[in-house]
Order: sequence, then C-alpha cells, then structure tokens
Amino acid sequence: MIQLYNVSKKFGANMALRDIDLKIGKGEFVYVTGPSGAGKTTLLRLIFGSEKPDSGDMLINAINLKRIGRSKLDHLRRRIGFVFQDFKLLPTKTVFENVSIALEVMGQRAKVIRKRTHQALRMVGLSEKEMSYPLSLSGGEQQRVAIARAIVKSPMILLADEPTGNLDPELTREIVTLFLKIHERGTTVILATHSRALLEAVPCRTIQLKQGRVIEDRCY
Amino acid sequence: MLLRSIPYFLHRALKNINSNRFVYLLGLGTTAACLLIMGAFLLLFVNVHTWFQGWGHTLSLNVYLEDGISHYQKDKVYASIQAMPGAKTMRFISKEEALTDLKRALGDQSKFLDHLAHNPLPASYEVIFEGDGGPDLTPERITEKLEKADGVEEVQCSAEWRNKVEGVLSVAQFIGLTIGGLLCLCIVFIATNTIKLTLYARRDEIEILKLVGATDRFVKLPFLIEGAIQGLLGGLLSVGLLFGGYLFLSSKKIEVLGLAPLEFVFIPAAYVVALVLIGLGMSAIGSLAAVGRFFDI
Repeated sequence: MIQLYNVSKKFGANMALRDIDLKIGKGEFVYVTGPSGAGKTTLLRLIFGSEKPDSGDMLINAINLKRIGRSKLDHLRRRIGFVFQDFKLLPTKTVFENVSIALEVMGQRAKVIRKRTHQALRMVGLSEKEMSYPLSLSGGEQQRVAIARAIVKSPMILLADEPTGNLDPELTREIVTLFLKIHERGTTVILATHSRALLEAVPCRTIQLKQGRVIEDRCY
Repeated sequence: MLLRSIPYFLHRALKNINSNRFVYLLGLGTTAACLLIMGAFLLLFVNVHTWFQGWGHTLSLNVYLEDGISHYQKDKVYASIQAMPGAKTMRFISKEEALTDLKRALGDQSKFLDHLAHNPLPASYEVIFEGDGGPDLTPERITEKLEKADGVEEVQCSAEWRNKVEGVLSVAQFIGLTIGGLLCLCIVFIATNTIKLTLYARRDEIEILKLVGATDRFVKLPFLIEGAIQGLLGGLLSVGLLFGGYLFLSSKKIEVLGLAPLEFVFIPAAYVVALVLIGLGMSAIGSLAAVGRFFDI
C-alpha cells in the first residue's frame, strides 16, 4: 500500500530524511518513533502529499506521489485521514461542522453528511458535544474531534502526528483504544510518537528514526 | 456534481459575506459608487443626446435689433420673420428685459452692471422655426435674409451653438469613455482587494479545507460567487440611486439658453442591464485575480 524507495527530503541545509526504504501493508498498525527532529512529521507529511521527496520514489496504492498532479492529490487526500499535532480545528465552527467539513469537500449529500458525522462523533464519544465550539472543549476532547474528522470519511490510511502528546495517561489510553477500533475496521494506521508509554501499552510494528534514517524496524 | 453543489456554494458564499460584512459592505459601497458615477455619465449623455436631437428639429434664432430702431422698422422686421415658413414662436425682448435676464443669470456677480452709464444690450426677437421648411429653411439662408433687413444688427443662429455643442459632446464622450474604463479597473481592484482580505481572514479555514481534500475549485468558487454578488448588488444599488437622482432632477424645471425646459429621461433598459452586468463582470474578474494565486498546501 505504502512504498518508499530511497526517499530523501531536506529543508535548506537540514537533511530531514535520508534514503528511506519502507513498505507498509494494507491494514497494518505502525508506530513511527524517534526523538524530536528525527523526521517523523516529515515522513507523515510525505505520505500525506503535503511535501514532495527531493529524491527517491513514493507509491501509495501504486500512485507515484512524486509525479502526482494537484487534482489527483486532492482526491488521494480524501482517502487519507490526518490527525494533526495541533488539531487544526476551526474555532468559529461547531464540533459537528468541524467534522462534517471532511465530507462536504467530497460533495456528499446533506443527509449522508449528517448520518456519517453523527456516527463518527458517537465513535469518539462526543455525540453530546456536537453543538459545542472547540475552544470550550478540553485538550482530549479537541483531539477526539480531530480524530472524528479524520475517520468520518472512512479513510484507507489514518496518519496521526503525536496524537497523545499533550494528554495524561488515562486519556492516552482512551485515544489509543480509539485508534485500535479504527484499525479493526481495516484502516492502515500510522502513529508518529515519542511516547514510550504508548509503545509499551499497545506494542505493534515500530519504525524508529534517528537523524532522518530508519535505525530500527521491528514487529512485536 | 457541480450543479448539485451550486446551492451549497451559494450558501457558503452568503455565510462568508455575513461573517465579513464590514469589509464586504465597504467593497459593495465603493463598487456602487463607481457604477453610480458611470451611470451618472450615461444619464447625462442620454439626456443631452435626447435634448440635442429634439433641438436638431427646431432652429432658434436671436435677431438683434439696432439701437434706436423705429417702430416702423421693428414692425417690418417682425413681418418679414413672420412671413418665413416654419416660424412658430416669436418673442420680443426689449433692452431692459435683456439686461434683467443677464442680471438674473449672473446672480451675485451682477452688481458691476449697476455702474453702467447706459444699457449696452440690444433688443431682440427670439424666433423658433419648427418642422422641415424645405430648402429655404437652412440656417444660412435665414440668417442671410434677416441680416439684410433694415434695423437688424446681427442674427445669431442656434446652428452655430449646435456645432459648438457637438464638438464639446464628442470631447465629453471621449472623456466619459476614458473615465468609464478607469472606473471598470477600479471595480476590478476593489473586488480583488475585498476578496484578498476575506482570503486572508479565512486562511486557516482554507488550509484545513485543502488538508481534508478540497479541490481548488471547491475552495475558490465561493469567493468567486462572493465577488459576483458584490458586483451584482453594487450594480443594483447604483441603478437605484441613479433612479432616485433622476426622479429628483425630473421634478425640477431646468432651462438652458432660454429654450424650453429640459425634459429628463432615464437611461434605457439596455443600459441599466449593462451597468449591472459591468458590476457583476468586473467584480468576478477581480475575484478571479484574487484567488488566482492560491495557497499551495
């Protein structure tokens, strides 16, 4: 599903990723770990298509991201959910509107949008808060809104950048359980984290990065 | 899908307008002001043209009489004018009346006339010829014939004025077109900046839309619709204001050069539509220019 061949990416003089060779199969649950600046976020952004590799090739479902056009990229993004580290929620829109936006861009009918948004909010346990605004929610709740927005379109791949970064251990467990539930539906889940606690709580395939290189790729 | 999405895009555009109403109203007001200036020019041209065309069918003359003209000579001049085919309206303006008219026309600046030792203005006949009087009713012939009569000092013909006004009108038309073109550019510029401001205000939303897979068209269309609505409303508002101005002017009695009061007409329907379409089109172009260079996320 996701294939990287000798992928390198640099920002100015800083080499963010070097000669990455990686394959992630359909339905896998993968951690990308490593210290800050190791290249975890860059790897996720490459898979998401918001960055292009400087060298090497990247395929997602046999689509080469290096040569993908703007329109195809937009359509590919509809099949990838991304949970951002800073949530990227719109403070002027309600929880419902923040989630449903992912379906609106796909041109879904209002009835379908309503139904699927309610389902996603129920799944993350926020049905009661659909009319609330993000700033009135706790950090954990905002994170769950971001997850609901990522899963509402039933993506084939779910990317999450430090999804438990600012959460206490109890909330971390809740969020991981949520990701496992999503994974059980057949979605490929890739979590970027440097949380040891998370890796130990739910051991899965772990790709460890250091200074832009893969130093370990281990399955548990 | 696009057709199905139009109500959705329209709804989003209207919601966006509501959330940025101050900037939007400012843009709308300025667009309407530009279109109003254009409309005012059109109204002026249409009226001058209509008035001028009407004037074209009539020929007016001022037959100035020599000072100290005898009653006999005056009556003779009168009779020779009356004998001309098509001579309809004739009014005698005495030297005193001419001075009073001039004082009225000069208003506050007429005081210097009080110091005149004697009235230098001549008495005159005001004559209007109507209809097609045949080959004898050419301005040149009439002038030539009347100037030969005893007691006539000078004959001034409206045809001379008409030629002068025609020249002024062509220059004014050129200036009007140039100003019109500049105003069109202004409307484009206003729309570009209004939409740029809204783009800036909603950059976070746009970023998120792109991140969840919105196509460029999906993001851009509401902004284009916003621009078009601004132009459309600006056009309608300017037409409304123009009509108000027209009603105000037509309620007044305006006389020029001592001719019959000017009858005001409103701009034809085609011009009204054109004015609204210019607003809509220019604003749409302006919005297109604003969203053309879009965020590459």
